[in-house]
Amino acid sequence: MSSSAADAAPKTAAAARAAAAAPEGVLLRRLRYAEPATLLWIVLIGVLVVLVVWPVAELLLTSLRSARTGTFTLSNYAAAYGRTRYVDALLNSLALGAVSAAICAVLAVPMAWAASRTDMPGRGFAWLTVLAAFIIPPYLGAIGWILLAGPNSGWINQAWMWLTGSEHSIVNVYSFWGLAFVIALNAYPFVFIFAKSGLDLISSEMEDAANILGAGTWLTTMRITLPLVGPAILAGVILVFLETIALFGTPAIIGIPARINVVTTQLWQFFEAPVRAEVAAAYAMPLLLITALLILVQRLLLGRKGYVSQTGKGGERRPIPLGPLRWVMFGWCVLVFLLSVAAPMVALVQASFAKAWGRGFSFDNLTLGNYTYLLFEHDAAWSAVVNTFVFAAASATFAVVVALAIAYIVKRRVMPFGSLLAFLCMAPFVIPGIVMAIGFYAAYAGPPLLLYGTSAMMILAFTTRFLPIAYANGAAGMQMIHPEMEEAVRILGGGRITAIRRVVAPLLKKALLGGWLLVFILATRELSAAIFLVGPETRTISVLLYDLSEEGNFEVLSALGGILLVITLAFVGIGMKLIGRDFMLRRE
Amino acid sequence: MNSGDRRLGRRAFGALAGLGLAAPRVLRAQTATEMAPHERRLYEAARARNEQVTWYTAHYNSETAEAIGRAFDETYPGVQAKVVRTTAQVAFQRLSQDMRARVQNCDVFSSTDVGHYVQLKADGKLEKYVPENTSQIIADLRNIDPDGFYHTTSIGTVLINFNADRVKPEDRPRKWTDLLDPRWKDRVTVGHPGFSGYVGTWVVMMRKLYGWDYFTRLERNKPQIGRSINDTVTMLNSGERWVGAGPGATTLRSASRGNPLGVNYPEDGTLLMISPSAIVKGTRNPNAARLFMEFLLGKRASEVQVQNYSEIVRSDVPLFPGAKNLSEVKLIRPTTEEIDQGIPEVKELWRETFGV
Repeated sequence: MSSSAADAAPKTAAAARAAAAAPEGVLLRRLRYAEPATLLWIVLIGVLVVLVVWPVAELLLTSLRSARTGTFTLSNYAAAYGRTRYVDALLNSLALGAVSAAICAVLAVPMAWAASRTDMPGRGFAWLTVLAAFIIPPYLGAIGWILLAGPNSGWINQAWMWLTGSEHSIVNVYSFWGLAFVIALNAYPFVFIFAKSGLDLISSEMEDAANILGAGTWLTTMRITLPLVGPAILAGVILVFLETIALFGTPAIIGIPARINVVTTQLWQFFEAPVRAEVAAAYAMPLLLITALLILVQRLLLGRKGYVSQTGKGGERRPIPLGPLRWVMFGWCVLVFLLSVAAPMVALVQASFAKAWGRGFSFDNLTLGNYTYLLFEHDAAWSAVVNTFVFAAASATFAVVVALAIAYIVKRRVMPFGSLLAFLCMAPFVIPGIVMAIGFYAAYAGPPLLLYGTSAMMILAFTTRFLPIAYANGAAGMQMIHPEMEEAVRILGGGRITAIRRVVAPLLKKALLGGWLLVFILATRELSAAIFLVGPETRTISVLLYDLSEEGNFEVLSALGGILLVITLAFVGIGMKLIGRDFMLRRE
Repeated sequence: MNSGDRRLGRRAFGALAGLGLAAPRVLRAQTATEMAPHERRLYEAARARNEQVTWYTAHYNSETAEAIGRAFDETYPGVQAKVVRTTAQVAFQRLSQDMRARVQNCDVFSSTDVGHYVQLKADGKLEKYVPENTSQIIADLRNIDPDGFYHTTSIGTVLINFNADRVKPEDRPRKWTDLLDPRWKDRVTVGHPGFSGYVGTWVVMMRKLYGWDYFTRLERNKPQIGRSINDTVTMLNSGERWVGAGPGATTLRSASRGNPLGVNYPEDGTLLMISPSAIVKGTRNPNAARLFMEFLLGKRASEVQVQNYSEIVRSDVPLFPGAKNLSEVKLIRPTTEEIDQGIPEVKELWRETFGV
């Protein structure tokens, strides 16, 4: 992955050069002597204009225009925020985002620490738990949890009532905490992956220093290790927060029965007839301000401190012996596994092999029919499977290449306006998929590009949607690499591209592959933009799942979810195998 | 048809059923080899101009919509239907975007929300066309637009569904008002009028029959509120809820797989949902679009719908198992104006009463 990312950089630079070659004369000569990074910078600006600026500008213009006359107006904003209920929805979203992010940190940080820094048994198991939790589309997990924790029929509640003879249920998924918990059980992998990739890069020297000075394992972890990976954890937490407020599926499935209105379900209301896209656009605008604010906060928090821990001077990593405590940590991982993967999956797998899932477990209710129907009889299923993985791979590659290049420019301050580029990269995250899809649709569906219904449209939309993840990942990695190694390349006569290709990319290989897998997985389960941009030839599994959920066809839905998970797992397994072996070689 | 609680004509059903028995040959003329003359004219014109039809549809689930598109392709080789299936609001949003961008993507528009047609017609965005095949559909479904811009091509029902394992036969609700019985506290499931056109129309109808008081009393039973009307089927299947106001077709489709579900056609009326289709003004494929409208009303399209557990606009095609012939039940339905004006009102009232 990293090598292709690095190869792509000179390629895009070359393409820019070729493009720039057309106007002759001064410009050509000037460009010939320009640093490749300058050309790359220009190309990147072009890419960001296509991916982010234009669609968002269309949105902004929509929000400021009267729907009927097209004249300038602020009335859309008045309509969007003129009611208590609408403002409450925004506050609910913020509270939900904060609580979910906090639960994620509690679940994931101990796991990441134990898996990365200690001799806990089953470290691979922790990693697999996270991956499994992550590839479960949020709406599938939510349906699983409704089966488990529904107040009347949930398995947990039935078991509780049977065991204690109580007439009251113990858990209720249809509540604010239920909703936050279900979201967190799906989103904690963000925090885990960010924290772990940070922890993996820290050498033991600093912990050794603390130990020598008399600090025990606990104190060292709290005062040295975790603060060092603060930026990575914070990046993960912020992503969960933003992901939560932009999430549509789970709040719709659980929040509406729980009578909790959030931003995305409110946005949906603006799309009821009469459609008020301009009010929806206005309603979505403050979310952009929130992103900007969060990025600012992150910068202020991290600004003065040096977090560079990977230097050119080597360093050794040794697992911390935990003694009996390692079983406690392992127990925690098992608990998270049960909650986030095993329990909802059992419910879904049962449904996927059931003739009628309402009948529960019994042998005469078992069938392979749902799978054979999808694999051999369904017309759309196969093309949806192919589309899903082609789109996911293409957008993951595109996003990681762009993100690495921008992260490099920003972190190394190669060119001006780096922070603007960074902001543009992060902005798509808080634009709920359906709103972003409208921006894309307005910008690219019609003439001159006519991209509606094409694969290009889906790939562009997915790339934009997950560019923030790729960027946050790349930037967190860049943060940890000291420039001195690249400076060494420069001193020895290598150009900047050489430095990126031979030094930065190999060092970031893990972070880049992690970022690629993240985007890949997210793109395989993307729903909210896809549902709006999809054409007859570009349907994906998530769109089919949504259709099946709409028609209450839960057995086939679960089987299709199962197929999605199996194929995704296979891809992820291959990725892990490739990078895992490489990683081991490098360490030993 | 336009009066709220009038029974949908039994006579019309009877007459059509009789026609179906007496003249199978007339109806077999629907096959590819024996097209009716008006269909052949359109087909040949569409072939000559190399026309294809793009169909934005919110009717049916995607499988059924695709199957109808395929059946059209098979019936009329060389004229293809491009099926773009989404929910009603997204389809309408997409059409509006097309119109704003002056792109002519959509030839035939099929929404479940009658209000869309009222608005499109008022804005002069629909092409007037009265398909000849409208004469073959159930009489009361004809002429929903007196000016002939849009026509019923799909129907559905909202009735009482229940979990047959949890609710004993003698306890099963028979009337809509039975759902208000305190015995169903924490046991009722409904959809949301802000998401589902079916639910919105049902709410308008209940308000018309019993006043908004129906819903303030329903709230005392703390109903589970989903989004789509089909969410009631999911909730009943899981046993989370026991009785609901749900869709006839989806409930029976799920029951046919062995799920413990049943339906009652309420004594105070089964809500009939009428979903129209129309040709979009300025279509570049006028013959293919017209041919497609004829096809949607033809026998072949009805057969495909029945195979996929959809209710149909014709009475000469046998229904799927478990479905009652709608001529045997009391049908109720608000007028187009009541739906168009009522749904925005009841959505507001709904959010005040239920808080979401």
